[in-house]
Amino acid sequence: MGHTSSDTRQIVPIRGDKGAAGIRPDRQAWLNSLTRSRKAGPHLSDHQFTGMADQTLAVHAGSGNEAVTGCVGTPIYQSTTFLLNEDQYRSVGQGYARDRFIYTRYGNPSQWSVQEKLAALEGAESAVVFSSGMAAISTTLLTLLDPGGHVVASNELYGGTYNFLNLELPNVGMSATLVDPRDYGAIEAAIRPNTQVLYFETITNPLLKVVDLRRLGDIAERHGVRLVVDATFSTPIVTKPLEYGVDIVVHSATKYLNGHSDLVAGVAAGSRKLIDQVWARMLNFGGCLDPHACFLLERGLKTLAVRMRAHAETALAVATHLEAHPQVRRVFHPMLETHPDHALANELMRCGTGNVTFEVEGGDTAALDLVGNMTLARSATSLGGVESLVSLPFNSSHSSFTASQRAEMGIMPGCVRLSVGIEDPADLIADLDQAFDQIRPVREANA
Amino acid sequence: MNNNISVCALSEFVNEVKASPEEAEASYGVRLAWQSGARSSAEASSMKIGPHTVSRNFSWSIDEPRQLLGSNHAPNPQEYLLSGFGACMMMAFVSGATAKGIQLEHLSINVEGDLDLHGFLGMESNAPVGFSAIRYRIDVRGDASPETFEALRKQAESHSPNAMTLANPVELLGKINAEEVRDSDT
Repeated sequence: MGHTSSDTRQIVPIRGDKGAAGIRPDRQAWLNSLTRSRKAGPHLSDHQFTGMADQTLAVHAGSGNEAVTGCVGTPIYQSTTFLLNEDQYRSVGQGYARDRFIYTRYGNPSQWSVQEKLAALEGAESAVVFSSGMAAISTTLLTLLDPGGHVVASNELYGGTYNFLNLELPNVGMSATLVDPRDYGAIEAAIRPNTQVLYFETITNPLLKVVDLRRLGDIAERHGVRLVVDATFSTPIVTKPLEYGVDIVVHSATKYLNGHSDLVAGVAAGSRKLIDQVWARMLNFGGCLDPHACFLLERGLKTLAVRMRAHAETALAVATHLEAHPQVRRVFHPMLETHPDHALANELMRCGTGNVTFEVEGGDTAALDLVGNMTLARSATSLGGVESLVSLPFNSSHSSFTASQRAEMGIMPGCVRLSVGIEDPADLIADLDQAFDQIRPVREANA
Repeated sequence: MNNNISVCALSEFVNEVKASPEEAEASYGVRLAWQSGARSSAEASSMKIGPHTVSRNFSWSIDEPRQLLGSNHAPNPQEYLLSGFGACMMMAFVSGATAKGIQLEHLSINVEGDLDLHGFLGMESNAPVGFSAIRYRIDVRGDASPETFEALRKQAESHSPNAMTLANPVELLGKINAEEVRDSDT
């Protein structure tokens, strides 16, 4: 694959981003004569959607019309591999393979389509989709950390992320310090000379605490470290972390982004510089997303803005009802005035989300009863789907902690995590009320 | 990829630096600790490339041959100096070759220098304390002419930070942080 011989004027079709080209080597020149710069993308079509509202971007960004048939919307490119020509060989030789179609782990039009939509919604130059949220999180962290590197992260992380930090990082000579996500002095004090990443969640699970992205962005900038946030619970409709100095935003796209509980996926979005690095590690670790799942995710995303409005509206109605319910001790929802972060939520969140957490009188036994009595909301883990899901942290997401450890985190007996879907709030409220009525006489087992 | 370096990534870095000069600012440091006799250990400090921290989890040992009162357990400071120069030349040579679209098949660099230890020992001599010359030879095989490789060698030398640090005067700024131990303290 000699560059000199390939540097002819022969016309070959560009199978990939038509706006991205390699370089023309010059045997006399030094490095400063190299001409290729980074650009946003890779992009499937020449037409990018910018300056439009989320609701429009969700429908149109990245959704290309296929040239041969003129079909409206991105087809499913269910293919492992692509015909190679001189330009694609050169892209491998020169290192711009991310801008061409070579092989589906490297890139596939179905991936590009959904990546472009996700990047547009996040206000990012680039995005990479993954086979799960954990693939996105682990690949992103291992991209930004070097051997001996250190992470300062929230002590209220999603269990899967906690396990990755706690169990996997030490295997590769890296480490993490976990701190209260809203104790900004403690976060700063935990930064060491080898700290490379701050890692937080925009809204915590299950107590829905809101972290101040502005303060985290300021700390990261002052210390020369990268800031990564998991925005699974907020989505770009609610808040756009990159606006606050976040370097990479990651999601479990399984949840609100897809919204239909029918796939597992993840995404990392940020500058082209960083996402190119993440992509290169994704090639090595292998967590790419299948084209059919990309199609489903892209289709799900088209309704993200309207779904989030419906989630927010329904969840607030349910939360307000629960707050007045005699069998409920406490309700957590950022849009309730009683939530400790309500003022911060009003500053950082464009709208609410579908998550409502509450404590049932009678502890975990009563909570188990309640969940068993509910007929509309399904008793299953996960969140963010159009259907309501309900689960208990004590026997699911936080079962690896002891009751006292959970209490330290603020997860009290009787804690219920409700992911409110887009059903009619009156139906959900009626279902909750009948489920409360049927709770067996209180046997306080977990107080 | 040619020479397993992405010339596009190299080009993107060049153009990033054109747009944001601070991305070219790199800070390095090592910490040395005396162990025993002629032996010491070195550890890389965290480094900065542009505004961002890079963790450097590396350490290595330094010793002298027995003839120079060491135990011959590790390379000596002169060998580290020569290898630091040679490796920097190699990085410049490979980067330049990649930018020019040259595929290398083999590359090795021999570096030599002679010291007259009269200077170190403080004995009267006309010899300088340091190396008076450093000789290097690049053995290369690849898809370019010998003339192109010679031009590349000159370009690599003039763009190699370590080569230029050796070839040009550099300011050494030293200070001591000392604590005197008195007999009565021991």
